[in-house]
Amino acid sequence: MKILRAFIFALTIAADVAYAGSAADSPAPISQPATASTPELNLRWMMEGEKRYRTNCGRCHQPPHKFEPRVMATAVRHMRVRGMLTDEDMKYVLYYMTH
Amino acid sequence: MKRALARLCLVIAVCIGLTPLGTTQETADLRAAADEAKPIPILSGGAAFVPTWDSGDPTLVSIVSPVLLVPVSRNLMFESRAEFEGDFVRRNGNSGDFTGAIEKSLEYAEFDYIGNKYITFTAGRFLTPFNIFNERLYPNWIRDTQTDPLIYPIGTGSDNGLMIRGGVSLDPNITLNYAVYFSALSTIHHLESERHAGLRAGLFFPHHRLEIGFSEQHVLQDARVNRLGSYLEWQPARVPFDLRTEGTYSREEGDGLWIEGAYRFRNARASLLHRAQVVARTQVFHVGTVAGINPDLPTIDTRRTEGGLNYYLNDGWKALASYGRTFTAAGNSNIWTVGMTYRFVIPLGPAQ
Ligand code: HEC
Repeated sequence: MKILRAFIFALTIAADVAYAGSAADSPAPISQPATASTPELNLRWMMEGEKRYRTNCGRCHQPPHKFEPRVMATAVRHMRVRGMLTDEDMKYVLYYMTH
Repeated sequence: MKRALARLCLVIAVCIGLTPLGTTQETADLRAAADEAKPIPILSGGAAFVPTWDSGDPTLVSIVSPVLLVPVSRNLMFESRAEFEGDFVRRNGNSGDFTGAIEKSLEYAEFDYIGNKYITFTAGRFLTPFNIFNERLYPNWIRDTQTDPLIYPIGTGSDNGLMIRGGVSLDPNITLNYAVYFSALSTIHHLESERHAGLRAGLFFPHHRLEIGFSEQHVLQDARVNRLGSYLEWQPARVPFDLRTEGTYSREEGDGLWIEGAYRFRNARASLLHRAQVVARTQVFHVGTVAGINPDLPTIDTRRTEGGLNYYLNDGWKALASYGRTFTAAGNSNIWTVGMTYRFVIPLGPAQ
C-alpha cells in the first residue's frame, strides 16, 4: 500500500505541474465567427486535424497511416470510444484522415 | 445505499447523455465535412508469433485476434474481438515435439451508443477498464514489451454488463476521460465475467501529452475484494519517447508496479534506424494476504527487468526481440522473446 500511496502522490504532483505549465501557453480558441465552408476554413481544419492526430493517434500505438476514407470513418469512431477522444478531437481527426 | 447511489448516477448519466447540445455554425460545417465519408464494416485485428523462453523452456506463442467493427447508425456501433491463442510447449519441457491446444475467447462484443459529446453508453461484453494495459495496450501489435506485466491479472479481463464512458475537454489544456461500469457474474465457458462495479478516470494534458489517472474496482461476489490502480503515460512532443507506468493494489491478491520506457530512433541519421525502437521495462510484485486467490498471479514476491528491440517494418509488421531477468527468493531466471506481429485492416464494403 505504501508504494501505491507514494505513486499516487507522485502522479498528483505531476498533474499539478503539467497543468500549471500548460495554462501559460493556452492557444487561441479554434472556433471563429460563423462561416460557410471555404478553402481557408478547410485548410485550417486540415491543420488542426493533423495536430490532433499527432497528439492523439500515437498515444497507445504507433500512429497509423491513412486508410481509405470509409475505413478511416469506422476506425476513428472506434478510437473515439476506445481512446476516449473528445467529440472535437474526433471531428478534426476524421476530417484530416478522410480528406 | 451503494445501490441507491448507483441508480442515481445512472439516471443522471442518462439525462445528460440524451440531452441534445447546441452547436455553432462552424462546428456544424465541420461535422458535415467530417461525416462525408460514411463508415463501413471492417475486419481488423492482429496476429503474432512470439516464441518465448521462460527459465529455458520454450513456448511457441501463436495468436490470431480478429476485430469486427459494424457501424449501425451515425451514433451506434457494434464492435467485437475474439482471440485464438495456441501456446505450444515441448512434451518434456526442454525436449520432444511441441504440443498444445488452441484457446478461444471472446474478449468483447458490445454496442456503443454515442449519446452526446459527454457520454457514450456501452452494453454487452467489454474489456474491463481497470488501469490501461487491458484496454489500450494488450494487442501484441501494440505492446512494446511482449510479456504481460506481473500485475496484469488483477482487475482486468472482460466484463458482461453496462458502462458509461467519455472524453470531455475541460479547457484547451486539459481533457477528462472516465468510465463507470457494472457487470454481472457469468461462468459460461468463453464468456466468464465477475460481478463488479468500477470506475476509471484520467486527466490528459494535450500540450504535454501527459495522462494521469486512477482506477477503482469492487468485486461484488465471494471475497468482495477491492482493487485500486493508478497510471501515467507521457510522450514528450519533441522526443520520440513513450513513458508508461501502472500501479495496482489489492490487499488480498497483492500489489505491484511496472514502468516502461520506449525510444524510437525517428531522428537518427541513418534512415534504416527510423523504424527501430528500444524498450526497457522493470516491475515488482508483492503477494497479498490470501494465497492462491488469483491463480494467474505469481505465488511469491517477484521482480523482473526486461529490455528489447522492436523494428517496425511497415505500418502493419513489427519484428521484435527481448531479454529479461526474473528475480525471486526461490531463484532467478531468464526470459527471452523473439518474433513478429502483424496488424491488418480489411474493409467489408466499398471503401472509397
Ligand atoms: C487510448 C488508446 C488509443 C488511442 C488514443 C488510439 N488508439 Fe487506435 N487502437 C487502440 C487499440 C487498443 C486498438 C486495437 C483494438 C482492438 O484490438 O480491440 C486500436 C486499433 C486501431 C486501428 C485498427 C482498426 C481498429 O479500429 O481496430 C486503427 C486504424 C487505429 N487504431 C487508428 C487510430 C487513430 C487514427 C487514432 C487517433 C484518433 C487512434 N487509433 C488512437 C488504442 C488507441
